[in-house]
Amino acid sequence: MLTALLIMAAIALVLGAALGFASIRFKVVGDPLVEKIDAILPQTQCGQCGYPGCKPYAQAIANGEADINQCPPGGEEGIRKLADLLGREFKPLSEEFGVEKPKAVARIDEQTCIGCTLCIQACPVDAIVGAAKQMHTVVEPLCTGCELCVAPCPVDCITMEPVAETVETWKWKYPVIEIRKRA
Amino acid sequence: MAEMINVEVTYALPQRHELVKLVLPAEATVADAIEASGLLARYPDIELDKRNKVGIFAKLVRLDAALRDRDRVEIYRPLIADPKLVRKKRAEEGKVMKKGGGEAGED
Repeated sequence: MLTALLIMAAIALVLGAALGFASIRFKVVGDPLVEKIDAILPQTQCGQCGYPGCKPYAQAIANGEADINQCPPGGEEGIRKLADLLGREFKPLSEEFGVEKPKAVARIDEQTCIGCTLCIQACPVDAIVGAAKQMHTVVEPLCTGCELCVAPCPVDCITMEPVAETVETWKWKYPVIEIRKRA
Repeated sequence: MAEMINVEVTYALPQRHELVKLVLPAEATVADAIEASGLLARYPDIELDKRNKVGIFAKLVRLDAALRDRDRVEIYRPLIADPKLVRKKRAEEGKVMKKGGGEAGED
């Protein structure tokens, strides 16, 4: 009887110590909700939501300061995912922040680029390779299509080109079931 | 083991982009990184220090410049347009040159 008690007590102590150690050693830094919201956002860092990037917007949503329908690049699909995650009602994209557009990437017209670096300074994701008086080039896989480089260009040589849907870029669309025929 | 740093070497063409990730010893220079990337063999038309200049994150550097962890070494291509001519042409067409932010005058 006494041995059994002692063994159980010993096991309880060991497991307790192990749990205590784990909670200190593997402490999760930061708010996991912010991380989850940030993972849904498109990471364009475009600032159309009114916050200086996707992470600050995620922070604002988590704190209840911002609504979930302020992200035009994320579009309807993004809002639906956010609504699911946060257990809120879906609401259409707020027009105040922009409209949903097909994903595009920036392209620089090499005949006109004067190598001024203004677009490089504007790019939030370092997707433009170039330096003063050198040709600037958009690295397409890095470009998020945020359009922040278009306005600063003094010679208007940057255009946004929609990305054609290929096998690599195709994604499952959110299923749309029409309950009533649209008028 | 000597300290290692992670760097990237990139060479961007309008339709093709090369981005080579490298792990180099901490004392490596820009020239070492480009040599190790193998881009010179794949693109024989790169002429370092003559036609093509190099830099790290949009700042021109010399080939013997030291690297830091997570640097992106960039091989640039020369401009096609002459900046002076482009500006002149725009001025003749009556377009305003704007500076960062794009607020100066609508065209």
